Amino acid sequence: MIPDGELLRARVVTDLAAPLEDALDRRLDGYAVLAPRETLLSDDDDRGVITFETGVPALAYHAGTDRGGPPALADIGAGPHRLELYDLDPAHLTVPHTTDELRVPPGMPAERLAGASDLADRTRRVADEPETIDDGAVAAFLDDEDAIEDIRETARAEAERRAEQWGFEDAIED
Amino acid sequence: MVEAFAVASGKGGTGKTTGTLALGMALAEEYDVTVVDADTGMANLLFHAGLADVETTLHDVLVEGGAPVAEAAYERFGMRVVPCGTSLSGLEAADPAELREVVATLAADADVLLLDSPATLSSKSAVLPVVLADRIVVVLQPTIPAISDGLKVQEYALSYGSEIAGTLFNRVQGDVTAVRERVDRYFEGPLLATIPESDAARAARSAGEPLLAHAPESAAATAYREAAAALDPRDGDSDDVAERFRTAVIPDPP
Repeated sequence: MIPDGELLRARVVTDLAAPLEDALDRRLDGYAVLAPRETLLSDDDDRGVITFETGVPALAYHAGTDRGGPPALADIGAGPHRLELYDLDPAHLTVPHTTDELRVPPGMPAERLAGASDLADRTRRVADEPETIDDGAVAAFLDDEDAIEDIRETARAEAERRAEQWGFEDAIED
Repeated sequence: MVEAFAVASGKGGTGKTTGTLALGMALAEEYDVTVVDADTGMANLLFHAGLADVETTLHDVLVEGGAPVAEAAYERFGMRVVPCGTSLSGLEAADPAELREVVATLAADADVLLLDSPATLSSKSAVLPVVLADRIVVVLQPTIPAISDGLKVQEYALSYGSEIAGTLFNRVQGDVTAVRERVDRYFEGPLLATIPESDAARAARSAGEPLLAHAPESAAATAYREAAAALDPRDGDSDDVAERFRTAVIPDPP
């Protein structure tokens, strides 16, 4: 669902505070892949992903447990981790970031994964900064017809699936 | 005649309730307008319409053997306003599916029904107003999340056979011409108006008055009147609309 980004760094870390702070400072749009250090010798699925929206953690997902949101942070667990940090055009994250079930509160990864309450506070302050409306970014998003069509198709499919669940079938247009 | 509009946005904070009451007041100059807080889970309308202290709300109507809807309908600002209450116990007892009967009853005496819809598509009761309305007013802000969510609302509406009345660009700061032109490619219906971000809207909310009552000369109020003029309510048959609401297939309560 999320395309490959540009790899910024790959290393084993014992403390996630530094990479989280780095992502915040550079207002990174992208994601981090986190695996136990021994994962190269074990299960390839034992990995978690955290996405960033202008440096602020947005989503968490763990491939091994298929859980998202705060439970995924528990699955990612304490380090040391093998960390890969990727930069990605935010347009590719717009659709995933509408998935409420995967969202984590901005300060939670710093608290849960790094025990860094100061960094968590700082992250929350950055997240609370008023959303600057960047007309250029919005226009660029709207020029990406494939991404827009993807949102529409996903919503249509969801509406039709839920019509069955919710008993709205009679309303569905052929 | 009656036409039912749902005022909807997938995202919170777009000024949907302010917009619903503003459109209602503007339309009330020509039509009999009833505004219903269809966001039964997060009452908001009552604070905007000076009804925070009323005794009977839609929650009291939506319970089994509840109050008649006339007791929860208040004549305010030239409209009839039906607010939801804020008590959690009231919400738990209320059956959103009963909304259909309430709306059918209200349709009998109105030219225009405006349903202030929940800012989410996550539950059956949240989607119900979009299913029941004739046309949807999609409220957008010129941001990526708000436009993405607006697109989702539009697809839900079209999937369920509701039409799009148009889009409202709300809480706009600066020049959004480039964004507006692009948005127009993806949304059905006209762009009804571009509403500037306004201190008057916040002040109106604090005063418990609709924007058009609190600051009728403000730029935002003028833009809402322009949007209302573009809506052009249709001459639907009241009995037909009431019957459609009564017989709509309604989901189980959540």
